[in-house]
Amino acid sequence: MGLLRAVLRHPSGRIGLGIIVVFLVLAVLGAVGLTPHDPLKQFVVDRLKPPSATYWFGTDLLGRDTFSRLMLGIGESFLVAFASVAVAATAGTLIGLFAAWWGHLWDGVLMRIMDVLLAFPAILLALLIVAIEGPGVVTSITAIGIVYTPIFARVVRAPALALKAREFVEAARTFGSSQGYILSRHLLLNLVAPLTVQITLALAWSLLTESGLSFLGLGTQPPAPSLGVMLAESKSMMTRAPWLMLFPGLTIMLAILGFNLLGDALRDILDPRTRERTA
Amino acid sequence: MPLVGWIKSGGTFSGRPLLLKRSLQSVEDNFFFADRQVTLVRESVASGKTVSRRDTKGWSGVSDGRDVRLPPENAAKQAAEHRESFMHLNFGRTILAGVAMAAMLGAAVVPVEAATLRMAWAQDATGLDPHKQTAFSSLRLLELVYEPLVRLDAKYNVVPAIATSWEFSADGLTLTFKLDPNAKFSTGESVTSADVKASYERLLDEATAAAARANFLSIKSIDTPDPQTAVFNLSQPDAPILVAMSGTNASIVPASAIADGSIGTKAIGSGPFKLDEWDPNVKDVLSANPNWAGGKTGVDGITISVLPSESAIIDSMRSNQTDFALFNDPLVATLIPGEPGMTLNRIPGLAYNVLQMNPARPPMDNLKVRQAISCAVNRQEVIDTALVGEGKVTGPLTMEAYASDPSTLFCYKQDVEKAKALMKEAGQEAGFSVDVIAATGEPPYAANEAQVLQSQLAAIGVKLNIKTMDLKVYVDTWLKGDFDMAVAQNGGRPDPYPMYNRYFTKDGNLVNVSNFTDPELDSLLQQGRVETDPAKRKPIFQQFEARLAEQAPWVWISSTVTYTANLDSVKNYEINPSGLLFSLSKATVGQ
Amino acid sequence: MNYLAQRLLTFPLVLLGVSLLVFFAIRLVPGDAIIAMLGTEAGLLTEAQRASLAQYFGLDQPIVVQYGRWLMGLFEGNLGISVTYGKPVLEVIIARFPLTLELSLLSMLIALAVGIPAGVFAATRADRPSDLTVRVFAMLGQSTPSFVVGLVLIYFLSATFRILPAMGTFTPLFEDPLGNLGQMILPAITLGFSFAAAVTRISRSAMLDVLSDDYVRTARSKGASQRDVVWGHALPNALIPVVTLSGVEFGYLLGGAVIVEQIFALPGLGRLTLDAISQRDYPLVQGAVLFIAFNFLVVNLLVDLAYAALDPRIRLGGK
Repeated sequence: MGLLRAVLRHPSGRIGLGIIVVFLVLAVLGAVGLTPHDPLKQFVVDRLKPPSATYWFGTDLLGRDTFSRLMLGIGESFLVAFASVAVAATAGTLIGLFAAWWGHLWDGVLMRIMDVLLAFPAILLALLIVAIEGPGVVTSITAIGIVYTPIFARVVRAPALALKAREFVEAARTFGSSQGYILSRHLLLNLVAPLTVQITLALAWSLLTESGLSFLGLGTQPPAPSLGVMLAESKSMMTRAPWLMLFPGLTIMLAILGFNLLGDALRDILDPRTRERTA
Repeated sequence: MPLVGWIKSGGTFSGRPLLLKRSLQSVEDNFFFADRQVTLVRESVASGKTVSRRDTKGWSGVSDGRDVRLPPENAAKQAAEHRESFMHLNFGRTILAGVAMAAMLGAAVVPVEAATLRMAWAQDATGLDPHKQTAFSSLRLLELVYEPLVRLDAKYNVVPAIATSWEFSADGLTLTFKLDPNAKFSTGESVTSADVKASYERLLDEATAAAARANFLSIKSIDTPDPQTAVFNLSQPDAPILVAMSGTNASIVPASAIADGSIGTKAIGSGPFKLDEWDPNVKDVLSANPNWAGGKTGVDGITISVLPSESAIIDSMRSNQTDFALFNDPLVATLIPGEPGMTLNRIPGLAYNVLQMNPARPPMDNLKVRQAISCAVNRQEVIDTALVGEGKVTGPLTMEAYASDPSTLFCYKQDVEKAKALMKEAGQEAGFSVDVIAATGEPPYAANEAQVLQSQLAAIGVKLNIKTMDLKVYVDTWLKGDFDMAVAQNGGRPDPYPMYNRYFTKDGNLVNVSNFTDPELDSLLQQGRVETDPAKRKPIFQQFEARLAEQAPWVWISSTVTYTANLDSVKNYEINPSGLLFSLSKATVGQ
Repeated sequence: MNYLAQRLLTFPLVLLGVSLLVFFAIRLVPGDAIIAMLGTEAGLLTEAQRASLAQYFGLDQPIVVQYGRWLMGLFEGNLGISVTYGKPVLEVIIARFPLTLELSLLSMLIALAVGIPAGVFAATRADRPSDLTVRVFAMLGQSTPSFVVGLVLIYFLSATFRILPAMGTFTPLFEDPLGNLGQMILPAITLGFSFAAAVTRISRSAMLDVLSDDYVRTARSKGASQRDVVWGHALPNALIPVVTLSGVEFGYLLGGAVIVEQIFALPGLGRLTLDAISQRDYPLVQGAVLFIAFNFLVVNLLVDLAYAALDPRIRLGGK
């Protein structure tokens, strides 16, 4: 549609979207098993081989093909990222809307709760949640989801408040539309823009945090090949097998970059006030 | 003062260290190290032996037996005398005068400096109670601080520690120890038989949950006729008890510390060092125990830094920030031989890597299932991949004196077909899934081992879910036996009885961990325990080993190799597999 | 209501909320509260011992009472006893705090020292190739996680060129400034890397905003040189949002230090929290999280107040 074309015209948007599409394709291929080698199979004979024609990105200590593992790893990381942002976006939007709609007391209480959540540096809150639930994929999703909810709540609340005061809502009310209808029709349509931008940026941030948690051993557990886990494993073999560090590192960076670029492009298109300035 | 600083750092002059020498044999090395001289001299006086030429590079000033316990001004006087003697030589007098001046200044001004050994390891001790701790890292730290009655030398022979001599009675029911009158705790109090009695009673007390309790169940009572004699009355002859008494888990602690409950928070022992500071997972600071009966230690203190990455330890050794290190990860240790200025010591040990199953939990309560798993594992492949080839395939017994050839044991060569057949017989053709726990850090390759095993066992339908956890948490979980399977590294002993009785006899204190007892195994172990003739013990224990492998409560994989590495400046470190760190008591660190 | 007053009133409320969250979060840990307090060794206790310990810790009281007791304890500075250290939690935290503080400050310094000049430079050369280069680098910088930066740095500098030592025991700043800085420089660069990228973008933006001010156009039309304009008026005004936004970022640095401290084996507060979590030392986790959150809140408050003080629009208008 129009948005897609606008994104493709924007230089950052083009690159960002391109990267994401490539990664999504790789992730899907990995998920269905169309990888050059079985990512979990240990080719014991070919341990620690550098990149070659057979093993495009080399092999690791247990003889697993890095490229295939990367494909699975992208899938794992994307899974956590999308799931956690979905959690955060849903929860945050609902909270923000309720706070704006019912106002006053509810607004105060809900937003103070959001403030409390925002009072923690993000990683710290994620760590706290991991401390309670124990490491794992589900914990990562809940942790990142909870951490990011307040941002969505805030992002949604401001336009919601502004719209609430606008006349057409009053007009719609006099026509007898139910509260629910008004909410869903008018408000949500006007929230699409900031939400889209925020979701994209949240995805970037979520990938960053997820890989950080996995790197620390608190997210995805081995042998599931999340990108952070692969980097953590490569540490002790840095001098012997630098490709084990190089490729996962590049992949993480590119993935986050892709979402950041796309988010920037979307922000430029959808929300001109906050456009990154050109003189 | 810059001069002082220069001297303290071992002062170099035109790129080579200078030393003030007395001996006139060679003048090409001129090492100057006033404070080092004084330390060496003190050591020689305390130990009553002369300092060898190798140590002093020419400072043979003590060999004529003069009492040279030097306060600094004496050193200056000595230095002045040496300057005189040097004057006769045919080399630059000015240089010499300068050196001598520096020597006098340095010796006069520099207070006696402590030579500290800077050590690093990746896995810190998890606690300070020598009777309770099971983690290797804890036991290694504590062997610097505490002493048992006896210890093992490099050949696994029992040698004196706190006890200077011992004697079994003719019927084997009484064991009398004579204690070293010089043995003192770091507080200055003597180690007496009262301390020995209190320590062993604490060990035997069920409430203590001591790790080595099962080894000492034959002790009926302990008499203390005089402060230097401890008499153990046994309920039955117990040949391996001496070996059992040599571990850190049987250390002698002060009776007063037991009474006031400070064991585990303060570490007061009679060992070569005392623990000044324990900052868990950051550093351990030890200083020499001036009251140690073993004489002067080679260094005045040890600082152990905990660096979580073993490759970072190599980096810090390379940049001369660490003198000595302990490595558990063969991946990293095998990088050291390529480094100049460092030596790697490969120490095959009695400890073993094993996949423990929990026979209390189905379907592992079924013998055929366990045997199937044992047959499905390719032990050599685990060694080659996860351990990069470091280690040998072993059966339950790792000591040369009693071990059988692994190829004679049940299913030691991978046989996937047989494994599948066994699974079918057990009605588990469809397979099942279990959780396997592994510690991060001890051994560092546990997660990799688990992954290799996971892929091997997948072939017979057994799905392993790997759960890694911090060492401390792993040990607590392991002690409760709260696991389906565990990738473990357990300690060995030179004698099979103390090695396995705590796991596989009905009175064993670690039966919770093994969840497996078998009357035949129990009786074989007891037979071996009372049999004193080594020729008759071997077949008993080999029978034990064969049955253990066949019953397969655990899958034994390999014997372990531990590594220490030191810079070339560290000397006098004798490798003793039963006392990896204890051997540091005589080590010295030079320039 | 006046923004300042509003901010100051909500501050204690948020603090209370934070304490509530941390308190109940720890209570949510599956398993025994006693194990949580005493560590996993407590699993070997007998029933009688557990009962008496429960009484001692007040675990048999209603949850509200427990919270009240704990809160009172907080005011006295009693955060409990750490299971792994056997020492009061506050003591352990205070011992490790200076390192994390120094690391965060150093990172911020580096980030500002690199980011502001880069941003200003890009703004003055807006839309030209050099501007684009700076923006690309800033984008890359913001997209690279700290541990990737850290690993790459370690690899190139230590492993290949052997220039700087990667790790070591921490030398406090006042004991040995040079040694300390040598140890901290790599971690500080790692931590400051993505922050520097953010600062670049913010400075560039702020600078561009200011450069298009009427004042600037008037001054230029009156013949003032570019230099005077940039240094005299634009820069000081552009720095305000940069500095205040940096204050907020500082709080994130406190959190981000966790990963960097882990990579470089620095015994700081972040690593303490991590170790406490993996060793299930819940009193320490509680205390550390509270401490960091508290600092974060205070910094945020100060920044907000400073921002309000500097920018009259915020101070006077309500929202």
